[in-house]
Amino acid sequence: MSKLPILTVDRLVKHFPTKAGLVRAVDDITFDVSTGDTLGLVGESGSGKTTTAQCVLGIYPPTSGRIVFEGAPIGVMFNRRNRELKRKIRIVFQDPGSSLNPKRTIKQILSVPLKVHGIGLKRERLTMMSRLLEMVELPATEYLYKYPQAIGGGEKQMVAIARALATNPRFIVLDEPTSALDVSVQGKIINLLMRLARELDLTYLFITHDLSLMRNVATQVAIMYLGKLCEIARTQEFFRTPLHPYTKMLLSSIPVVTDEEESLKPAKIVSKGEIPSPVNVPSGCSFHLRCPERMPICLESDPEMRVLDTGHLIRCHLYSP
Amino acid sequence: MECLLAINDLHVGFRIFEGHLRVLNAVWLDVKEGERVGLVGETGCGKTTTVKSVLRVLPMPPARITGGQILYNGKDILKMTQRQMSMLRRHELTAIFQDPLQSLNPVFTIGTQLRDIVRDSAIGRGHRLTHREVESRCLEALRVTGMPDPERIMTNYPAQLSGGMRQRVCIAEALSTNARLMLADEPTTNLDVTIQDQILRKLDELVEEQGVSVVMITHSMGVVRDLTQRVNIMYAGTIIESGETRDLLESPQHPYTQGLMASVPKLTGEGISEGIPGRIPNYLDPPSGCRFHPRCERQMEICATSMPSLYTTAEGHRVACYLYGGTL
Repeated sequence: MSKLPILTVDRLVKHFPTKAGLVRAVDDITFDVSTGDTLGLVGESGSGKTTTAQCVLGIYPPTSGRIVFEGAPIGVMFNRRNRELKRKIRIVFQDPGSSLNPKRTIKQILSVPLKVHGIGLKRERLTMMSRLLEMVELPATEYLYKYPQAIGGGEKQMVAIARALATNPRFIVLDEPTSALDVSVQGKIINLLMRLARELDLTYLFITHDLSLMRNVATQVAIMYLGKLCEIARTQEFFRTPLHPYTKMLLSSIPVVTDEEESLKPAKIVSKGEIPSPVNVPSGCSFHLRCPERMPICLESDPEMRVLDTGHLIRCHLYSP
Repeated sequence: MECLLAINDLHVGFRIFEGHLRVLNAVWLDVKEGERVGLVGETGCGKTTTVKSVLRVLPMPPARITGGQILYNGKDILKMTQRQMSMLRRHELTAIFQDPLQSLNPVFTIGTQLRDIVRDSAIGRGHRLTHREVESRCLEALRVTGMPDPERIMTNYPAQLSGGMRQRVCIAEALSTNARLMLADEPTTNLDVTIQDQILRKLDELVEEQGVSVVMITHSMGVVRDLTQRVNIMYAGTIIESGETRDLLESPQHPYTQGLMASVPKLTGEGISEGIPGRIPNYLDPPSGCRFHPRCERQMEICATSMPSLYTTAEGHRVACYLYGGTL
């Protein structure tokens, strides 16, 4: 990997104190994303994927750890970030139905980021908005004056993408952008995102729970479990030799549609148990309660992240020296 | 073999202020004794309306059944009296819905709800169970769904359980009535893959054991492939293709099914197709002829004027498309 990382997350920790105890939403994770890459952050609900993204965006300040974007530390709250930084990092949310204001037309929705960031002169903005809509393959004349409720779910998501693009960002966090959509619409959105990444040289942090989608989209995949990363690898490598028992469990649980895919799945690992509450994190390796290859050491000590020769990062005692 | 459930040419509409929504339009579905049948379609295609018609829980009005029959064991469900219907719902049919929080009562414990069902279904069969028998059957029902510590679960409220656990409770409830036909309406859509895998395997096992017939409603082709023998594809209220599951997934024939299969992201990583252009039609004014024709790449003149019926293209494989039959 010769490219410089655009985003580096270094020992990020985010804890939430609650009445029930300390919620360890994100517990010491380290990764970086190179310019032009798409990092697929995959995990079950409650694994801390969204909290990680929200720390990157500055919605929460990290409890400890560093987030570095283009060489500058950015681990502070949103309101203490400068406007330039907010312009460069944008987000697309899961449900476009609730992330677009139903009382505003698409033109009004798209004009907000332009106004806030003072992009272009007032009279140029209409053309800019039309160009944004064309970038996401929506005919501008037809859509500018519509309300979100008048268009379909896929089209709404395209508007949300256009809004994210309005400030000419470098980095976009995609928080499950297609999981609220049907598969026949998903394809279009994904291809659109991939084309935009190529044309505008964007970097994505793609949060999802769909590993088969990541096979087709991500350049790098990271698996998260209970606030910690289990495994990170380049996509090819990741799917060729999944190493972590949790990854294998996830992969073998995917319902697939062809025999060819079936043969790519690791040998059937019976999935058992559920993700424990992040308030009571199990001792040692947090996955040991569900792990089919549990060893005595797993109950006592938490494994360290190790780099294998292939560039594969793994956090599991099975691969300890 | 005799069909346990046969839906013949069902048409259901909804009368609303804006007009008449013609939702179900020619739904054909049959389920044989002990068979598992899938019903697949995208959001808003009428899957749930179909299930609700079978259970007769559609609110009428606004809903109106405008044609067709639903035969259960040869008797028309639509002609049954309320009393017959409630007996049927009590002892013969059972359902699992997508959101267990909506099918479980939040103010009663799991135990209270489960005990009611167990006691009631036994009464329907003519025995009155003692307290101890009810208790042990409830615990057994929870235990077979793979629930750890069923004694504690019985005293819990639904809100105290996780999504996967709640769905297990629903399965326990559904199976404790010893029903013959189970309608599973997207039972695992809200769950994580590992939990989905557990629930589906358990369901598979239990259904096999008790010889229950299942209609599995879902939008996931993968789930259907794992669990069912035959599958029906639905688009805009119409069954457009049906056949043996493996066979149909391997060689889909209807242009819609082909588009759908191509848009499923695959582990082989060959990229994702563009999907199907357009979206599901407005039911107030559905397209004439084949409801898919405005989105279809291979539409012909006839598609806009008349609706294709289901043509048999191979043993057990039927497609509602003029590419495969009909006089031109």
